[in-house]
Amino acid sequence: MEEGRAERRRRTEAPSHTQGGPRRAGVMTDVHRRFLQLLMTHGVLEEWDVRRLQKHCYRVHDRTAAVEELEDFINNINSVLESLYIEIKKGATEDDGRPVYALVNLATTSVSKMASDFAENELDLFRKALELIIDSETGFASSTNILNLVDQLKGKKMRKKEAEQVLQKFVQNKWLIEKEGEFTLHSRAILEMEQYIRETYPDAVKICNICHSLLIQGQSCETCGIRMHLPCVAKYFQSNSEPRCPHCNDYWPHEIPVFDPEKEREAATSRATKRSLRSRQH
Amino acid sequence: MLQKPESGALPSPQAEGEKDGSRDGETQTLTASQKEVPSPFLQESPNEDLGARREEGATASSLTPKGARTLAAKALARRRAYRRLDRTVAELVQFLLVKDKKKSPITRSEMVKYVIGDLKDLFPEIIARAAEHLRYVFGFELKQFGRKHHTYILVNKHKPLEEEEEEVEEEDLGGDGPRLGLLIMILGLIYMKGNSARETQVWEMLRRLGVRPSKYHFLFGYPKRLIMEDFVQQRYLNYRQVPHTNPPECEFSWGPRSNLEISKMKVLGFVAKLHKKEPQHWPVQYREALADEADRARAKARAEASMRARARARARATDRAGIYPW
Repeated sequence: MEEGRAERRRRTEAPSHTQGGPRRAGVMTDVHRRFLQLLMTHGVLEEWDVRRLQKHCYRVHDRTAAVEELEDFINNINSVLESLYIEIKKGATEDDGRPVYALVNLATTSVSKMASDFAENELDLFRKALELIIDSETGFASSTNILNLVDQLKGKKMRKKEAEQVLQKFVQNKWLIEKEGEFTLHSRAILEMEQYIRETYPDAVKICNICHSLLIQGQSCETCGIRMHLPCVAKYFQSNSEPRCPHCNDYWPHEIPVFDPEKEREAATSRATKRSLRSRQH
Repeated sequence: MLQKPESGALPSPQAEGEKDGSRDGETQTLTASQKEVPSPFLQESPNEDLGARREEGATASSLTPKGARTLAAKALARRRAYRRLDRTVAELVQFLLVKDKKKSPITRSEMVKYVIGDLKDLFPEIIARAAEHLRYVFGFELKQFGRKHHTYILVNKHKPLEEEEEEVEEEDLGGDGPRLGLLIMILGLIYMKGNSARETQVWEMLRRLGVRPSKYHFLFGYPKRLIMEDFVQQRYLNYRQVPHTNPPECEFSWGPRSNLEISKMKVLGFVAKLHKKEPQHWPVQYREALADEADRARAKARAEASMRARARARARATDRAGIYPW
């Protein structure tokens, strides 16, 4: 009863522009606010984590309410965020197509979100790594090649040893992924910087032929050169015994990845239980 | 979190009745400033402009074609100006969110330099609207430090949850965990030593934990820089020279942000847990913490009462205005 009254009071305090104004924006409650804050804190979250977060926010602020369908929940928040030129964007990991969510700028502002966490020379190191990744054929840039550019950085002089640690900081903060000494973009960076990348590197940028989004890792046709994300390949050639390039019809020369939805769900729940075990071991 | 009624450092909840546009970052300021600072975009006086659109519709038919065109041009210019204002407000909101992640206070001149630019005469209106967005959309309060200084911080209205309540780890603050833990240890030492601790005492405690000022630490980076620069700049700690000491000594005390984001009772609780005792084991500190809790409860009650009063006033004001300019 107490909560209901408090909830209603909070809703009536909404500023006038969201109630009767020309744009029919949704209504923000503490459930949505906490959700937004936590999503901002984590930077990027996988879908199973987002659902857990949503349920957590309901549990904290509005136990009695039914948990809204995630898509509607997010659309509701996005309608309020519209006037701030930001939105919760959904993407997918490039290696296995897991859905991910991040809060992104709709107006291009380059690497601004990183600017608060990194010094000028560190940001420049990221830009150099980004260029190498975009120019590469595989979507990966080797640690050696990145470190060789250390002398060209703007700002304070950085030694290679320090640069190695900065690259690890990028990995920890979910801007880069490392695999066997090579670096590629984390899905967070792809979501947040897609527009910036398209505008800054219009010639070098690669696009997926199926979903038309930015492509960093993927497969390419050896005849005509079009590219596809691995999950897009998996979906497009699903149960097709003779995969052919959608553009030039030549035989598709690569192994078609298979993503098993059942295995994904198992993997997701095992990640969830591992996390809650960790938290109890204080 | 709650605002401790500290002399001079922070605006008290009673201050929101004032008309000074830059003092209080909430919507009441907006309606006040609209009356006092006619926006350069409006050619009529602000009060009339709210009805201007109604007027335009009514009188357009009685004007010459040239007059109607001029009116239409003015209306277009006004709409463009409002859009530009909207964009600037949105950019300021993003700027404040990004800056606040660093936890350093944001100055008015920074905001003007990087975001507001030549709209700086509209600063009171822009910051009031940004504050409202931050409050309504994200649950952050924009608070001003000191009446003269034009420095602001964001305070989270949502308190991070106690460990027992949750399964979701809200403390996974992207690497902030260990640094904040270090900060709480220092705040604890300061509190137990009677609200100030000599610099030597702080380093002594940390040395026992294996943390040395200038030796790179895998969790904290360079501790000396973290404590003497970062924590002080972020207003978590105050650092000053103790007068009449020879050789000169320096001491730490709680900074204003610590008072906003954590309480004496919480820090005492942490110290107690560390020593495997109850907070009551230190009667002096326990009494002080209780008094602090009572102060905070009173300040919170006052703030909520004034919020409700403002909401009622706002509701009355918007009823009168009719058309919303944004």
